[in-house]
Amino acid sequence: MIAMARYTQDKEELTQQKAKKFNLWLGMIGMFMMFAALSSGFIVYTAGGADRGIKTLLPDAFIYSTVLIVVSSVTMQMAYAAAKRTAFGRQKLLLLVTIALGIGFFAMQVHAWGVLSDRGVVFVNSNASQSFIYVFTGMHLAHIIAGLAVLARALVGRIRNIPQVNNVFRMDLAALFWHFLGILWIYIYVFLLLNQ
Amino acid sequence: MGFIKNSNIRTVFLLAFSMCVLLSIPAFAQSTADTSVQATAGTDTAGTVGNADTASTVAVTGDTPAPDTAAGGTTVDEAIGVTSVATAEGDQPLDLDPQVYQNAFYYVLLVLLICILIVVVGRIWQIYELTRRMAGKDTTYYMHNIHATLFLVCLIVGLYGVYWSYVHHGAQSMRDAATEHGERIDLMFMITTVITTIVLVLTHIGLFGFAFKYRATPQRKAYFYPHNNTIEKVWTIVPAIVLTVLVLFGFFTWRSITNVPEEDQKNALHIEVIGEQFTWTVRYPGRDGVIGERNYRLTTPLNNLGIDFNDKNSWDDQLGSEIVLPVNKPVRVQISSKDILHSFYIPDFRVQMNAVPGMKTYFQFTPTITTEEMRDRLGDYNYDYVMLCAKICGGGHYNMQKKVRVVTEEEYREWLNEQPYFFTEDLRKEFQVSEATANEGSEKLLANAN
Amino acid sequence: MSTIGNASIHSVDHHGGHGHHHESFWTKYVFSQDHKMIAKQFLVTGIVMAVIAMLLSILFRIQLAWPDKEFPILELFLGKWAEGGRIHPEFFLALVTIHGTIMVFFVLTAGLSGTFANLLIPYQLGARDMASPFMNMLSYWFFFAACVVMIASFFVESGPASAGWTIYPPLSAVPKAISGSAAGMTLWLISMTLFIVSQVLGGTNYISTVLNMRTKGMDLWKMPLTIWALFLTAIVGLLSFPVLVSAVVLLVFDRSFGTSFYLSDLVVQGQILPNEGGSPILFQHLFWFLGHPEVYIVLMPALGLTSEVISTNSRKPIFGYHAMVYSLIGITVLSFIVWGHHMFVTGMNPFLGGVFMITTLIIAVPSAVKVFNYLATLWRGNIRFTPAMLFAIGMVSFFISGGLTGIFLGNSALDINLHDTYFVVAHFHLVMGSASIFGMLCGVYHWFPKMFGRMMNEKLGYLHFWVTFIGAYLVFFPMHFMGIDGVPRRYYSFTEFPFMDKWISVNEFVTWAAIIAALGQLAFIWNFFSSIWFGKRATQNPWSSNTLEWTTPVEHFHGNWPGEIPTVYRWPYDYSKPGHHEDFIPQTVPFSETMSSNLPHDFEGNQEAERIQREWELANKPQPEKEAE
Repeated sequence: MIAMARYTQDKEELTQQKAKKFNLWLGMIGMFMMFAALSSGFIVYTAGGADRGIKTLLPDAFIYSTVLIVVSSVTMQMAYAAAKRTAFGRQKLLLLVTIALGIGFFAMQVHAWGVLSDRGVVFVNSNASQSFIYVFTGMHLAHIIAGLAVLARALVGRIRNIPQVNNVFRMDLAALFWHFLGILWIYIYVFLLLNQ
Repeated sequence: MGFIKNSNIRTVFLLAFSMCVLLSIPAFAQSTADTSVQATAGTDTAGTVGNADTASTVAVTGDTPAPDTAAGGTTVDEAIGVTSVATAEGDQPLDLDPQVYQNAFYYVLLVLLICILIVVVGRIWQIYELTRRMAGKDTTYYMHNIHATLFLVCLIVGLYGVYWSYVHHGAQSMRDAATEHGERIDLMFMITTVITTIVLVLTHIGLFGFAFKYRATPQRKAYFYPHNNTIEKVWTIVPAIVLTVLVLFGFFTWRSITNVPEEDQKNALHIEVIGEQFTWTVRYPGRDGVIGERNYRLTTPLNNLGIDFNDKNSWDDQLGSEIVLPVNKPVRVQISSKDILHSFYIPDFRVQMNAVPGMKTYFQFTPTITTEEMRDRLGDYNYDYVMLCAKICGGGHYNMQKKVRVVTEEEYREWLNEQPYFFTEDLRKEFQVSEATANEGSEKLLANAN
Repeated sequence: MSTIGNASIHSVDHHGGHGHHHESFWTKYVFSQDHKMIAKQFLVTGIVMAVIAMLLSILFRIQLAWPDKEFPILELFLGKWAEGGRIHPEFFLALVTIHGTIMVFFVLTAGLSGTFANLLIPYQLGARDMASPFMNMLSYWFFFAACVVMIASFFVESGPASAGWTIYPPLSAVPKAISGSAAGMTLWLISMTLFIVSQVLGGTNYISTVLNMRTKGMDLWKMPLTIWALFLTAIVGLLSFPVLVSAVVLLVFDRSFGTSFYLSDLVVQGQILPNEGGSPILFQHLFWFLGHPEVYIVLMPALGLTSEVISTNSRKPIFGYHAMVYSLIGITVLSFIVWGHHMFVTGMNPFLGGVFMITTLIIAVPSAVKVFNYLATLWRGNIRFTPAMLFAIGMVSFFISGGLTGIFLGNSALDINLHDTYFVVAHFHLVMGSASIFGMLCGVYHWFPKMFGRMMNEKLGYLHFWVTFIGAYLVFFPMHFMGIDGVPRRYYSFTEFPFMDKWISVNEFVTWAAIIAALGQLAFIWNFFSSIWFGKRATQNPWSSNTLEWTTPVEHFHGNWPGEIPTVYRWPYDYSKPGHHEDFIPQTVPFSETMSSNLPHDFEGNQEAERIQREWELANKPQPEKEAE
């Protein structure tokens, strides 16, 4: 009897976890739709006239930030692997590294804004294609903040020493979301490069 | 159900109380007329709920509001009269006459009365059901019969109402289209109306008819019929075919209206209509037949359209006091806006196009009926075509109009000769000054560069 | 068995973040994570918002009916917005705007799918709660905050947003053009952003619950149509609401930071604005990419709810279950490629207009299929007229009459003359206003016993239905003709144009009909709230329905089923199956218990089961033949 109850309980818990992870996937679809809308807005706008378009080279800072976020994805994946192997010290360390890289990414993006506005490519601009660069990166940074919060939550969970199942689950979600943010950034970067 | 039980004593009390109130306030005499009318109208619809002949309700209620509001209006007017005396000296806009509250109070009372009435009816109904139950008759299926009958009545009255509406309101709203393409649109409108009306009637006969015929009875069991692929295919394909026909018809009409060949575009009379809150300005191209460019940055109090007089085409542009068009000649209207979105809409012409700031939109059409002819046809000798704004644009949206006249070629020429030029003396001066400063500026720039 | 039950409830509660033994007032009624309570919260908030929006509509109906009369009482309530007892023209636009916004988003999106997705998805699928109860709670509270902000905009000095519910810039972006575009518009945008967050949180939850948390045996083709509709609605919402975020964000930048995404070449009241290079059409594209799917977000749950109710109360399986699902899927897919039909005459490339017209009219086909299937379901049924059934029939009627006028508006050539006129108002009030509201009311009457454990008063329900049904037709039907005559919508009064004079009496008639229909809602409000506490106690399955929610006990508790979650064996529409002694067979009854009524296609090609059935039939040969008739 008790064994069976345990079995049902585990099964329902497993369904719950599966469903929550699925929620994250759906959320990511939603977020992607938002950026897709911005992209199509950009295309429609830019196609509307010859005087529109980015008309500047994207700053090199974007390349560095791309490297940063790719590296952070790798460290995140390593942290997840460590969590699964119950190498908790390593997990904690790698999480911290990931967070640091994330903050570095954030700083690099802000730096890129500085570079752009020094060139006269400012946010309030009669060529809205250029304003779009800020919108894309700004909205992405808003998501990065959310991503950092998720990473921090995973870290706190580790420090508070929550059960291993939940620890791995949190890490799983955090890694998924963090990879998504990386891929989203690469999408945005490539999209902007193509329209440069 | 609890409230019904409790309401027994309350009902009597409230009824008595409200009667006292009604009788004791003499001012009520003023509004008895409207309350009684409204009471009948109200209970008509509320109490009898649909077994009332809706057509008669249509007729009755359609007529009654007029005297009703007249009565209400007079009381209100009197109230205002009193108030205005009271507030003649001081500025106390909210010093309302007590009459206002009383009127509102009466309406609230009236609603309460109706509610009480409904409770009483509900109560009686309950007793009736109780007697039925005691007599051993069924207490659920007779209810289904009532609703089934109501649906049948609803179907018949509703169909008659639709017919009545088509005849009366339809006659009010359909006028001959006064343009070439308008006739094609009207033809298509008619075809679509016929098709949709047939579908409307048939489906509603089905819907309400089945509801009537297959109302629940204790004997029958419903027919288990989960699907039939053939039928489903039929009623997927048939609407698809009908719609395909409509789509093709509509598509080609639409293309013929919007996709005007270059040649025809050139031959048309070009005029420009510019919307702003809450007026329209009409610009005729002058002798050269070309409308000058505009640049919103050049807007000044004198040149409030921001016409660019560097463009010599604009020098002979004329300001139209209204839209006057020669009959049977294609017109290409260039539509634009100074501030926000507006919509250039002439219902008689079946013409509509939005006015978008920073963008030119066009609509080409050929008026075929002069205003005079239209007046003759309608027998209304004050009738005018009118252009109005159809896109929400602020407080004055409801009154943003321009008269449209379609006249013969000669009348048009005559009228056009009287229209003033945009490039007035004052503007000429302003333009010369600005040009001079611009030249100076550029010379300075050149000097600096050197 | 009971040990299993308790254990499984515990596991769920553990996950929900709080134990069900010590639920305080706050966790039970306010910050509840129980899907049933959240559904009720959505419903009550939706009803309150609906009443507010209805009052707003009565206000502007009064203005339209008696444009030159004064109503000093209005000044008492509205102050400067009704100076001298007359509604101010800009306030009129604000009323129209907020009425539309509240009705479309707060009542028919959140109130409808928020209520019934929360209530029915776990119930009808056999789940103990949503995938993430916490997100579900957040979803409600974001919605609630959105409502508060929207109402708060009435108390702003410059008035609430008044650029129409479509908030087209530049009008919505330039406070100089209309005072409602100042602080009121800011609040509108904040409210809408909160609302979208709520919808996305809710929507992901619905989808994930449907896909992951179905009970044993509940495969996709055994789901009730309600679930299909709510599921597809959530998908549409998830894909389209984020697009509105983008549109709104860009508008916020234009309004507050001076960017030029949507603005260009503006000279507002003599003043040249600095914005340059933007495109107002861009906003319309982004807005309607959400806005049109939004129409189906509003409508599809109503279609789902009525399918269920009509089938139950006709005591007949829904006709063409698969066709119904496929047409819902068709509507879902097509809803994303028709948005341009709102922009035929806005300066969009006319060729695009032609393309959008084709896609738009295609969407009429699945809608037609649904209508015919409804009719076929009624045909030879044994129809019980419960209040829910009356509303369902009313919904079908509105869906037909409103849908048919869509064929006019979807046709770009006809739309030239009908765009932005009262014809449009009539069309969407019938097909998405009345039809969806009737779907919602039908749902409320049908699932009230499940929500509150008590029955609503049937007689008042009947009164409510007939007043509302007739009232809605009397209000909206005459509007078609005004539109054909060329009366544009959102006109403050009809007094300035000679050709509109003839419609003033019609307007009065419409206003009276609207007032009476609005008073008819008192019957509902009273019925709803008094029945929560004083209604007759409900039985477990008051409508003799097949779906899973009626297998739960009347008393609510977190976890829904006291024991193990029931297993599902059959589709939800086995009503009046020949050979069975009752006229319904719940989904939880295995085929082995209904040997006398099984049909070959019930087994979906399972040869073993078919063999057993054949053997049984051979053994009991004469019986099924007789009962089939």
